[in-house]
Amino acid sequence: MDVEAKRIMALSISKLYSLRTQRGGLSLHRSLLLSLTVRAARDIYHTAQLLRDAEEEQVVPCAPDAAIEEPMEISNDSPQTLTPKEVAMKPQEPKETLEDDKENRCASERHSRKRCCKTAVEPDFLPLKKAKMDTDEEKQHLHGEVLRTNNGNSCRQAETLTAFPTNRAIVAC
Amino acid sequence: MFTRIIRDPASPTEEVSALLCSVAADIISTVEFNSTGELLATGDKGGRVVVFQREQESKNQPHRRGEYNVYSTFQSHEPEFDYLKSLEIEEKINKIRWLPQQNAAYFLLSTNDKTVKLWKISERDKRPEGYNLKDEDGRIRDPATITTLRVPVLQPMDLMVEATPRRVFSNAHTYHINSISVNSDYETFMSTDDLRINLWNLEITNRSFNIVDIKPANMEELTEVITAAEFHPHQCNTFVYSSSKGSIRLCDMRASALCDNHSKFFEEPEDPSNRSFFSEIISSISDVKFSHSGRYLMTRDYLTVKVWDLNMESKPLETYQVHDYLRSKLCSLYENDCIFDKFECVWNGSDSVIMTGSYNNFFRMFDRNTKRDVTLEASRENSKPRAILKPRKVCVGGKRRKDEISVDSLDFSKKIIHTAWHPSENIIAVAATNNLYIFQDKVN
Repeated sequence: MDVEAKRIMALSISKLYSLRTQRGGLSLHRSLLLSLTVRAARDIYHTAQLLRDAEEEQVVPCAPDAAIEEPMEISNDSPQTLTPKEVAMKPQEPKETLEDDKENRCASERHSRKRCCKTAVEPDFLPLKKAKMDTDEEKQHLHGEVLRTNNGNSCRQAETLTAFPTNRAIVAC
Repeated sequence: MFTRIIRDPASPTEEVSALLCSVAADIISTVEFNSTGELLATGDKGGRVVVFQREQESKNQPHRRGEYNVYSTFQSHEPEFDYLKSLEIEEKINKIRWLPQQNAAYFLLSTNDKTVKLWKISERDKRPEGYNLKDEDGRIRDPATITTLRVPVLQPMDLMVEATPRRVFSNAHTYHINSISVNSDYETFMSTDDLRINLWNLEITNRSFNIVDIKPANMEELTEVITAAEFHPHQCNTFVYSSSKGSIRLCDMRASALCDNHSKFFEEPEDPSNRSFFSEIISSISDVKFSHSGRYLMTRDYLTVKVWDLNMESKPLETYQVHDYLRSKLCSLYENDCIFDKFECVWNGSDSVIMTGSYNNFFRMFDRNTKRDVTLEASRENSKPRAILKPRKVCVGGKRRKDEISVDSLDFSKKIIHTAWHPSENIIAVAATNNLYIFQDKVN
């Protein structure tokens, strides 16, 4: 179930990003429906994760607290940037979702420190980050946001966001 | 390029035959009959409007009655660029609504995402001839050669149909316009975008009144948008608007200037057993239409059509499954974006039959009295001359009969979103991507 949820989240986020480049401008209705789907999938994903974490509580702890503290701070740090465009506020939703994910995941990791050697890996449903030219102010904020959250915590290089190909198969880790 | 197929007058009643009008080029984005059914307007993605006119009955060729021929074609909207927001504004015509006819000319409202225009379509069959200052070719005459004065005389000429923009209603919508509706007072109309509804006077273009505003103070708290709105057919103070959450609000403009508080709220509680990732999306209402009588409302969401009684807000009067076999395919339909298709629905003239589109160029009709329904297909193969439309069936279970089509064989790129029903006769117009089909019932 959570594999499906993750896949739908990734799909929805990529659709949200591709909406930006559509002719005619951002569709508020479509963005809203996509965000709601992301949220629904996220809720299911987290529920499934919590259940799995509860099962793993038996494992011996090994990850230090310090490493986990860092992403928490960074996530809390991320301001909700107010953009001049009202409509563009909607795409802040997926970013916020990602931040929440980070928080929730880190929180759950904090609780079950007993987890063995499970590095705080970034959820693999996030779009692959590649360099992208973007003059939009709001997109620059988003860009900056993601770079910060990668700081020292992800096993991936910090890269910029790009449209996520929808036919990419998401493999659960 | 247009082809017309003459229907077969010898065919039995209750069957539907085809008149095909093929519009080259663009994807049709709206279809609308005028109030008498004499004219049929289509708008397309390229911003063009094509108006068809029904041929008059003639004694020589009685079977040609009912054919729609092209009457006028004009470019309604052009692509624009909003430099302030760095956004392109599409020229696609979202909706066309006819005004009731008050003189020899015809008037219609057409809208794209941002601007509504009032077009006048008029005929010219006379031309003034005999000017004093210019000759027949239009060249200015040398004043020295003018020795007499004459009065110009109107001479007959070949019929010319011209469309002129009479009003442009712009700069009133931040979001994309999804509906327009002419009021029964014939003085005002409303235009609706995702968050706001504005009321206009047909004569005044530089001012409009906002009557509904559901924009939250903090956009991050946005939970629903307006998807469609329509005025009541007889009560000029009443209108309804539908939301992406599956609810309909009826508002009375006499209650207050800003109709944020509804008079009636129609919503059916969700069936918890049907809950999925996509429940929100499929409950979003894509179209809302008053019945001609004004007593009922019809709404279309992704899988169903519902008829509501204006006097009962708690649940719909009738629910019709359009293509319930898609319920298990929602994930794939989400992937290919089909789940976002905004199907429309229409009433027939007597409010006894409702019609809506589906995929594979299928469209469905539901008879509210007999509770019978039929699935028909709009395709070139089925629309040969004198062709009677054969009912189609989608096979859901394992065993597929010879005539049936299985769910997996459905072509989701062929969708019927826009349909229209003649106001008094059993003539329907069905838009299948860039083709327009006109079908008639054979009641002789």
